[in-house]
Amino acid sequence: MKKLIEVRNLNIAYGSAAGWTNVVQGVSFEIARGEAFGLVGESGCGKSTVAYRLLGYGTINSLVQTGEVIFDGIDLLKLDATALTRLRGSRIALVPQNPTTSLSPGMRVGTQIREMIATHRALPPGMAMETRIVELFALVGLPDVGHRYPHELSGGQQQRVTIAMAVACNPDLLVLDEPTTGLDVTTQRQIIQLLADLRARIGMAMLYVTHDLALLAQIADRVGVMYAGQLVEVAPCETLLAAPAHPYSRGLIASIPTMDGAAQPGQGLRGVLRRDQMSTGCKFEPRCDFAAAACRTTPQALEPVTGARTVACMRWREAVAPHVPVLVKREDKKTAEVPKRVLSVADLALSYTRPSLFDRLLGRSSPAVVRDIDLDLRAGEVVALVGESGSGKSTIARAISGRLPPRAGIISLDGAALAPALKDRSVEELRQIQYIFQNPDASLNPRRRIRAILARPVDHFGIEVDDKALETVLDNVGLHAGYLDRFPEQLSGGERQRIAIARALLVNPKLLICDEILSALDVSVQARIVELLRSLKEKHAVAMLFISHDLAVVQEFADRVAVLYRGELMQLADTATLLSEPLHPYTEMLLEAAPSLRKDHYVSRPPAVPNSKAAQGVGCPLAGRCPRQIGSLCAETRPPLQTTGNGFVRCHLGVEALPVHSTPTDARDPSVQKVSSQRSL
Amino acid sequence: MTSVTSTPSRRFNAARWRATPGPFKVGAIILAAHALFAIVGAVWTPYGYAEMGAGLPLSGLSWGHPMGLDQIGRDVFSRFMHGAHIVLLLSFAGTILGMVAGTTLGLLSGYVGGWFDAVTQRVVEAMISIPFLALALVMIIAAGPALAGAPVLIVFVVGLVYAPRITRIARAAAMEIATREYVAVAELRGEGTWSIVFREILPNAANVLLVEFSLRLSYAPILIGALGFLGFGIRPPTPEWGLMISENRNLLIASPVTVFGPGLGLASLVIGFNLFTDGLSRMLGQRPVAGA
Repeated sequence: MKKLIEVRNLNIAYGSAAGWTNVVQGVSFEIARGEAFGLVGESGCGKSTVAYRLLGYGTINSLVQTGEVIFDGIDLLKLDATALTRLRGSRIALVPQNPTTSLSPGMRVGTQIREMIATHRALPPGMAMETRIVELFALVGLPDVGHRYPHELSGGQQQRVTIAMAVACNPDLLVLDEPTTGLDVTTQRQIIQLLADLRARIGMAMLYVTHDLALLAQIADRVGVMYAGQLVEVAPCETLLAAPAHPYSRGLIASIPTMDGAAQPGQGLRGVLRRDQMSTGCKFEPRCDFAAAACRTTPQALEPVTGARTVACMRWREAVAPHVPVLVKREDKKTAEVPKRVLSVADLALSYTRPSLFDRLLGRSSPAVVRDIDLDLRAGEVVALVGESGSGKSTIARAISGRLPPRAGIISLDGAALAPALKDRSVEELRQIQYIFQNPDASLNPRRRIRAILARPVDHFGIEVDDKALETVLDNVGLHAGYLDRFPEQLSGGERQRIAIARALLVNPKLLICDEILSALDVSVQARIVELLRSLKEKHAVAMLFISHDLAVVQEFADRVAVLYRGELMQLADTATLLSEPLHPYTEMLLEAAPSLRKDHYVSRPPAVPNSKAAQGVGCPLAGRCPRQIGSLCAETRPPLQTTGNGFVRCHLGVEALPVHSTPTDARDPSVQKVSSQRSL
Repeated sequence: MTSVTSTPSRRFNAARWRATPGPFKVGAIILAAHALFAIVGAVWTPYGYAEMGAGLPLSGLSWGHPMGLDQIGRDVFSRFMHGAHIVLLLSFAGTILGMVAGTTLGLLSGYVGGWFDAVTQRVVEAMISIPFLALALVMIIAAGPALAGAPVLIVFVVGLVYAPRITRIARAAAMEIATREYVAVAELRGEGTWSIVFREILPNAANVLLVEFSLRLSYAPILIGALGFLGFGIRPPTPEWGLMISENRNLLIASPVTVFGPGLGLASLVIGFNLFTDGLSRMLGQRPVAGA
C-alpha cells in the first residue's frame, strides 16, 4: 500500500516559565491510504499533540524541534498558513473530542456544513448544495437536521454532525481526537460502527487517537502505543491485543476491565507517568516489571521484530511471552447472617421543578425525573447504579445525600428516616453519608493545601483523632505524608481522587456514594482505584453506592447491580446473575455494547416497534427503542415488577420469556442496519 | 500535561522580575517612585506646605521653586510633595473600605441567591445608576458641615461609591464558584454560609478581586481629585492635588507651572496603577490551569 502520510522523527517541546519540556520525542510512523491507525496512551503522553501536528497545528507555546510530516510528498511543517488552510478540512479533516464545544452554538448545523463545503469549493459537479448536505446527513445516519441548532441535537447526533462536516470534502485523512469519549456506551458503539462503515465506503485513512484500547480494537488496523512522548510499540491491532510485546502495552491491556469476568490482580501498571523522574534510558523503566540494570541507561528505539511490528524494548522477548491469565474466582463470602441494612430507599420520586401554587390548585403535576425507586444497601455491600447519561443516576445520589429534596418517598439510614432537605439533617447523619464526586479537579478546593482539605471535615464533625490520623488515612489510600503540604494542582488526577476518597473515609461514614469517580481517570489509574476501593470495602465494611456507566468496571467489584433507564429501575440483580443472564432487554443492550478486547462485530439491534413512544410517565420508557417490544402494550401500560431469584425485572415480557435470546444475527443485512443507525438515539 | 511544579519563592529575584509582563514592570516602577516621593514628602519639604511668603507670589519657576509660587506666595513644590501621601492614603483607605464592604456583600449575594440576592442587587443597581459625583456630593451634604473636609468623610465617600461596583464583580465570581463541587462537598458537610463563603469561595475569587482592587485604586485619585477640585475634598490649606489644581486654575495663564505639578502627579499615578493592574491581571490570568 502507498504511504499517505509519514511522520519522521518528530520532536516537539512545550515552553513554560520553567523552560522547555520535551513532549514528543522521536516519533515516526506512517499511515497508508485507507488505513486506520490508532494512537493510544495515557493522558499526557503526547498523542493529541502528535495528532494535531498532522493538521499542521500546534499550540502557541509549542515548538517543533526536529521532524517532518510528509503528506503526499509535501512537508506540512514547512507550509505557510494559506497553504495549510487549503489543506485542512479538504484533504485532512478533524473530528474533535467534544462536539458540544466544537459546533458553533448560534449557527444552524446545515449552515456550518455548507460553510465547510463552500470554503473548499468541494461541491461535486452537477449537485446542488442542499442535496449534498442532505446526502451527508444520510451518510452519517441522520435525517435532514440542517435547520436545527446544535443544542437541539443529542451528544451522539452532534458527533455525527461533526463527522459529516469532516467528510464533507472527501478528505484523504481523517484525524479523530477521542471522538467517543464523552458519549454513552451504546452511542459510542454506533459511532464506531458508523466510522467503520464510512471508511469502507469512502476509503479514507484514519488516525484515531484514544485512551481506550477496547474501542480501538473495533476499528484500527494498526496501533501505535505511546508512552511519555515516545512510540513504544507499533503493531497490527490483533497482534498487539493478543500478545503485547512492550511491557507498557502489556500493562495497559491488563488494566482494562473486561466483561469476560476474569480478575487479573497484579497485572496492571504501577506508578504514574512522571515526566520529572525520567531516566536517561528507557522512559518506562521506573514502572517496568521487566526492567534490568541496563534499561536505566540505554535509550530504546523502535526496532522491527517479527510480524510487522516494531517495539522499543530490549527485553521484549520476555514481555511477549504469553502469560497465563490467572483466573481468580472471586470467592463468594456468603455468610449466613445477613448484614444490617444501612440505607433503604422506598418509592422515591424526584423532579427538578417544584410545582407552583397555581399548578397545585389545578392538580397538575410535572413529570418526575426519577420515579418508583426502591433500593436497599447493607453494611459492607457495594450496589452499582448503572445507566446511560441522563438516566437519573446522579439525581438519585443527590436525593440520598440531601441536595435534592424528593417529591415523594422515604430515604432512611439505619432504619431512621432522613429529613428530605440537607439543612434539616443532623451533623451525625451528614457524617454517615459521604459523597465522592466524579471530577477530583473540581471537588478539591484548589486554593487549599491537602492538609487543610483533610483536616476540615475532622474539625467540623468534631472527631477525636490523634496526630497521625491524616498520615494513616493517606497511607490507606496509597499515598504518603509528603502530600499533606501540596496543593491539589500539584497532584495527578488519580492522586487527587485518592485524596477525595481519603477525605470521605476520614470521618468513618456508613455509606459512601461514589458518583462516576473513575470516569475522569486513565485506565491504569482506574484499575488501581478499583483495587483500592475493594480493599477499603473489605477493611471498613462501609456500604457503597457506586454510580457508573461502565458495566465492565462495575462487574469488577459490585455485589449487586441496579440498571436505570430514564429514571426507572429496569432491573436489580446480583452482579454475576446479571452478567450471565441479563433478562431485561435494556441490560442486554448495555452488555452487548460494551466493547471487548477483540473485534466483536457489534451491530446494534433495531427496535421492534420504532415509532411507539411511551406515554410520559405511564408506559415503559424503553418503548420505541426496545428490540423486543411487544406491540403498543409497552408504550401504553406500566410494565409490572417481576421478582427474580435475587432481584427484580420491570418488563412486560414474562420472566420465563425473557432469557430466550433473539440473536442479533438477523440484523446483519444492510437495510436493517441503516434503519438502526438512523433510529439511533 | 505533566505540570512542572516549582515552589514559588517569596523573595525578589531577577529571573522572576524578568518573566513579568512589561506593563507590570513600568507600572511597578512608577508606583514605587510615587511611594518614595510620598514618604519623603510626608517627613520633609523644602518649605512648609502652608508657609506663606516663601518667595514672591506668582514669580514663576526657578531653582528654588521648581513649580513656582502660588497667589499667596506658597511654594507649590512643597505643597505637591506633602500632598502625595495624602492622595495615596485616602485612595488606599477608601478603596479598602469599598473592597471589604463590596466583597462581603457580593460573595454572600452570589452564593446565597434567592430574595437576598434580588434585594441586594436592586439596591446596588440603584446606586450604580447615580453618577458617582452626584452620589458623593449627596453624601457630603448629608454628612453636614461638621464633617465637611474631614479625611474620614472622604474615605467613606470613596468606599460607598466603590462598594456597589465591587459587589457586582464579587457576586459574579461567587455565582460561578458556587457551582463547583468543592462547595457542594462543604455543603454536604453541613458547613455554614459564612464558612463556605470565606473558606471555599473567597480564596478562589481572590484573583478577580485583586485585579478589581487595583483597578478601583487607580481611579480613586481621580475621584478624590475631583472632589477636591469642586471644593468638597480635604479642608484647605492641606494640599491635596485636586484641591491644588482648583486653587491655581485661574493662574493657568499667569503661571501655568503651578497647575502642571499636581496634574502630572495625578496623571502619572493613575497611569502607573493602570499599567500595574493590566500586568497583574495578565499574570494572574496566565496561571497554568491544573489538569490541563
